[in-house]
Amino acid sequence: MDDVTAGPNLRILVVEDEVLIALELECLLDDLGHTIVGIAGHSGDAIAMGRDLVPDLALVDIHLIDGPTGVEVARALSADPRTTVVFMTANAKRIPDDFAGALGVIGKPYTERAVANALAYVAGLRSGTAPVGGSLDGLSLAPRPTAGAAAVAE
Amino acid sequence: MGSSVSMSGQGYAVEGSERIGVGTLAAAFEASPTPMIVCDPRRQDTPIVWANDAFLALTGYGRDEVEGRNCRMLQGPLSDPAVIRMMKDALAEGRPVECELFNYRKDGTAFLNGMTINPVRGTSGEVILYFSAQSDLTDKHRLQAALKNANDDLERQVGERTAALRTALEQKTALLHEVDHRVKNNLQVISSLMLLKARRTPAGEAHDALQAMAERIGALSTAHRMLYSEGDAAQFDLREFAHEFLGDLKAGLDAGRTAVEAEIEAVALSAAMAAPLALMLHELATNAVRHAFPGEREGRVSITARRSGSGMRLVIEDNGIGIQAGTPNPAGFGRNLVEMVVRQLRGRIDWSDAGPGTRVEITIPLETRTGVS
Repeated sequence: MDDVTAGPNLRILVVEDEVLIALELECLLDDLGHTIVGIAGHSGDAIAMGRDLVPDLALVDIHLIDGPTGVEVARALSADPRTTVVFMTANAKRIPDDFAGALGVIGKPYTERAVANALAYVAGLRSGTAPVGGSLDGLSLAPRPTAGAAAVAE
Repeated sequence: MGSSVSMSGQGYAVEGSERIGVGTLAAAFEASPTPMIVCDPRRQDTPIVWANDAFLALTGYGRDEVEGRNCRMLQGPLSDPAVIRMMKDALAEGRPVECELFNYRKDGTAFLNGMTINPVRGTSGEVILYFSAQSDLTDKHRLQAALKNANDDLERQVGERTAALRTALEQKTALLHEVDHRVKNNLQVISSLMLLKARRTPAGEAHDALQAMAERIGALSTAHRMLYSEGDAAQFDLREFAHEFLGDLKAGLDAGRTAVEAEIEAVALSAAMAAPLALMLHELATNAVRHAFPGEREGRVSITARRSGSGMRLVIEDNGIGIQAGTPNPAGFGRNLVEMVVRQLRGRIDWSDAGPGTRVEITIPLETRTGVS
């Protein structure tokens, strides 16, 4: 990705059980100018890290080492309004209607472009500026996008 | 249907029929296997005044036990009050009755009595007799009840079978989703493997090769991600797919220098074509973008796809340096790949000089299924 406009640096927690995917994602995020604060493959670790590190953004897979617990992780992490949660999963069907408080979902297998766009969007949202690039290719937003707060009950 | 009877002398005359001797009439009714009784409404409480042997056999009573008593003596707990009321109303209005009512024998056993009651009028028009014939419908009733039980049982079994099938279907669907998600995750792992290795490889032929392979896997991944995302697992939309994949292509370009134009018809294609098409489109488009415009040469790449006859025609054209002018074709493997894929799709490919530039035209037959745009 040669000509990515560097946005504000995000502190990112990666919740993913496949080590290779996590490693490559780490390199990509690094290229885009962000900081990985942690990688967790287990829902317990993910929630603990979220509490201790308070990342700006958490990228959460749904299937983790201890089963399809990514939704619980998303709900726990998004309870803190300082953290934005985005699902990264091959199994979007498991996401509940309220998205467990997450902003949206990046479908696997994703392209580097999709990830870059999504990060630019999140960075723009958090800093209150219009997102760089503007396109949402690759990121599907939750019906009522909120930056971390739990969705209001229907 | 009350008949008019006049009594005279020896016999009864029924209107419109011959004179019948009372003896003959009585003998016929006495001997009939059909249970019959006659009741007299002019006496108090309309008692039974005559009953034939068949009636006594049916009910288990002796003649002296039934004569003089109202026939309600046969009723009991299972006798339907609604039927009794209907019977009373009809008789009060002088109408005949046909009904089924549970009655009881002397020994207490119940039977379903299918009876007819006809009022018989005298010459002055008032009812002088009720004539009733009975019949034991218990077997018929038992048969109907057995049939109903059998039906209920069948319905229950069908219900159970349907529930079992539904559960099996849910399980199979869940399994399908599970497999699909695994495949997508594995594609991501393969892509990551490739990219990780490319990062660790110093710039040069090996790095370029790895990067190119990673991108081809990316095209395959895009194809797979589009499949099964909406309801239909058997088809995908070419236009949506092309939009997705060209977006990736354009993202890597200097838009001021190279323009990519696409006109893709919304053709529904079978899922089996997704992977080969993805590879083919990727090769041709990337090739045109990367190699047709070396140095600072500006240019345009156009991609069109539309239905043509019973198939599809794909044209990729650039206004670049052309096939002949290129250095030993850096995309040699790519060209082989395209030709193999076109063969796999049972199509035809023509490379020609677009003066300037290169034109690639591919025609692919489409199966005549539900390929509606």
